[in-house]
Amino acid sequence: MKAKRVSLVISGDKLILMSAIVVVFILFTFLNPNFFSRVNITNILVGASLVGIVSIGHTYLIIAGQNDLSPGSLVAFSGVLCALLVSKGVPLLPAVLLTIVAGAIVGLFNTWMVNNIRIDAFIATLVTQTIVRGFAYILCGGKPVAISNANYITFGRARFLDIPLSVWIMLLCFLFFGFVLSKTKFGRSIYAIGGNKDAARLAGLNPRKAILICYVMMGIICAIGGIIFSARMNSGQPAANVNLEFDSITAVILGGVSFTGGVGSLGGTILGVFLIQAFNTGLTMVNVPSFWQYVARGALLLFALTSDYVRKQNREKMLLEASKRQG
Amino acid sequence: MVVRGGGMGHTLAFENITKYFPGVRALDHVSFSAYGGQVLAFLGENGAGKSTLLKILNGDYQPDEGRYLIDGEEVHFDNPHQAILNGVSIIYQERQILFHLSVAENIYLGRMPSNRFGVINKRLANEKAQAIIDDFGLPIKPTTLVKDLSIAYQQMVEIMKAYSRDNLRVICFDEPTASLSESEIESLFRIIGKLREEGKIVIYVSHRMSEIRAITDCVAIFKDGQYVATVPTESTSEQTMIRMMVGRDLGDIYRNLDRNKQIGPVLLEVRNLASDHVQDVSFSLHEGEVLGFAGLVGAGRTETMRAIIGADKLQKGTVYLRGKAIVNHDPNQAMLSGIVMVPEDRKTQGILGNLDVADNITISLLDKHSNRFGVLDTSEEATIAQRGIEEFKIRTPSPHKKILELSGGNQQKCIVARWMATNPKVLILDEPTKGIDIGAKAEFYAMICAFAKQGIGVILVSSEMSEVLGLSDRIIVMRGRKISGELAAAEATEDKILALAMAEE
Repeated sequence: MKAKRVSLVISGDKLILMSAIVVVFILFTFLNPNFFSRVNITNILVGASLVGIVSIGHTYLIIAGQNDLSPGSLVAFSGVLCALLVSKGVPLLPAVLLTIVAGAIVGLFNTWMVNNIRIDAFIATLVTQTIVRGFAYILCGGKPVAISNANYITFGRARFLDIPLSVWIMLLCFLFFGFVLSKTKFGRSIYAIGGNKDAARLAGLNPRKAILICYVMMGIICAIGGIIFSARMNSGQPAANVNLEFDSITAVILGGVSFTGGVGSLGGTILGVFLIQAFNTGLTMVNVPSFWQYVARGALLLFALTSDYVRKQNREKMLLEASKRQG
Repeated sequence: MVVRGGGMGHTLAFENITKYFPGVRALDHVSFSAYGGQVLAFLGENGAGKSTLLKILNGDYQPDEGRYLIDGEEVHFDNPHQAILNGVSIIYQERQILFHLSVAENIYLGRMPSNRFGVINKRLANEKAQAIIDDFGLPIKPTTLVKDLSIAYQQMVEIMKAYSRDNLRVICFDEPTASLSESEIESLFRIIGKLREEGKIVIYVSHRMSEIRAITDCVAIFKDGQYVATVPTESTSEQTMIRMMVGRDLGDIYRNLDRNKQIGPVLLEVRNLASDHVQDVSFSLHEGEVLGFAGLVGAGRTETMRAIIGADKLQKGTVYLRGKAIVNHDPNQAMLSGIVMVPEDRKTQGILGNLDVADNITISLLDKHSNRFGVLDTSEEATIAQRGIEEFKIRTPSPHKKILELSGGNQQKCIVARWMATNPKVLILDEPTKGIDIGAKAEFYAMICAFAKQGIGVILVSSEMSEVLGLSDRIIVMRGRKISGELAAAEATEDKILALAMAEE
């Protein structure tokens, strides 16, 4: 039992990932010495915090055999909504709660499309992506909503042990959701459902309910992410966070979650998040033109998917070898 | 010994064909030959390797070792399409035709006669198709849409499609009669006879001894992925063939079982059950009874069971457990009330391939092994998994091996262990021994008897006649989505079951 857990924490895949992070750091520090500085590393962590919490939702969803393309829009929408509510005189706490409820409703909408109309998750959440982005613009008439509430702004600037609050929130989320994924019946059922939905249902699990929980969880995570992001920006920005889901999904796949479901862990995801954030920050710091950064990000996702494919082939090869030994 | 055919020329030789799948060696150094002008049967139990060999022959699978030669020349097909182009066709029980196209369009699919601008000449296609239809002596028109034909004629269209290629050398039939009536089978046999006369290599896969007797010249026998021998159909007794394919006398296995003799009161009663797939099904199951369900594929047996456990939606009818009406909206509710099912298709419905052996055993008891916050008690889980592994003699190097690394029989034992850990009252086994070797089968039979002795009501759905006859206390036969009859063990014979399963509508 012990041996199994340890090997789960540092398997070969994760070592490769850690080495990749080290290589990225060395490479970018060589190109721009400021890369390996306290300020920049804090910046990377802050940048990673939003992708980080969204990637938790993606880890759950993709392991469960689902996906979600709506987080970028939902984060922007949540920031606008919360900022707008506060600017209209709603006290901070109710405004935050209302925003979270709105996020959960978007999650329910995604669930409804996937569970009830049986639309493929990818295309269903593309619907949500567009609709929710639209509402973000409609709410504020297309203009960013400034935040003047002092507590709200403090929330975005507060630090503990000189590390911004958003980073702490991300780390706590990883610990909590990591525990839930590996140690609870909900976590276990997600693996089963992502591995084989029909078999899981026949074994007495409830795939529809688990899928609902995952989407609603993602909705709430995005709402919280949107509130923190707007606090950091001092405003609700309807056009922000485009491609957030892209970075998040890339991080999750890099971290070893199989795109076909049923395989992966949050330990891998957090490494994937650091890798992609360091990569993105580095590209900017060494002055790669932003048009080329798109190409680089696409290449990184392609790389992640390719390594996912190779891992899958290796798993199958191992199984086949095992059968041959048996036969 | 090799049985030679009419010397019409065509030969098909397999040399050392070996194929692995996760958990099984599906084919183990298979070598033999087939000849043109004779019909060769493939005989063997489920999982003996017949279908795998066909799929290797037509390029659907690639062999891990070995090769095959047609007319002395080594051939290699990357996919079934390439095989068809080279004169190797398989006629499956599931028809692989396009229902919304006409007979002629199906026959000449992908090679419709056309002029040099690529414009299709339908009239010419219809004429050519009509010639083949006349040749086959069938009362259908080339312009009819395939969806408007009976199942038997749809199959004929497939055969004509293969036949229309001038270079057809090998034609295989995989359980072609599964859904045909007597008269339809007769006309199929006439056409198979015609193919034989024309010197084609005809391979015929079937479980039905009477058909093998009627149409084939020789029988190639397979057992557990190995080729045993080819024998002439006419001069070999059925007993001999069965002994060769089973490896030992199955009768002994059944005779030596420790059967439960004390059958208790009614445990489960199903009244007027109907779903999208079955109509008006009523039966009862007693404590400690093994109730066999026989019938052809598609007769509605699996669908009946799925409706009982709530996997399919119930439209009508009531399920009573110990006299109390229960409602199962999903398999979870059925499990909580004590009804569990080992599903028909182990790979797609039974095992969770991404999880290990222990997780597969404990997955249905997550509620029981977790506290009120849903946190799992891993040590209790390990205990349950270990107990299941020992009790059901699951051969695995460790509880943390991926279940896919186990052999088929051991995978199936994990599913049984999963359900037995929930202390069920009713255990439904749907084709429990499909694709597992004879040794593991015997273990399953002993297990089934042991469950009955514990007072569990066992429903055994099986397409293997000997299994249903050898294990059941009572046998229910289904046909066309309904129950067509019930037989007590003492009076049941293979013929009586077949009569109930196959009678014409």
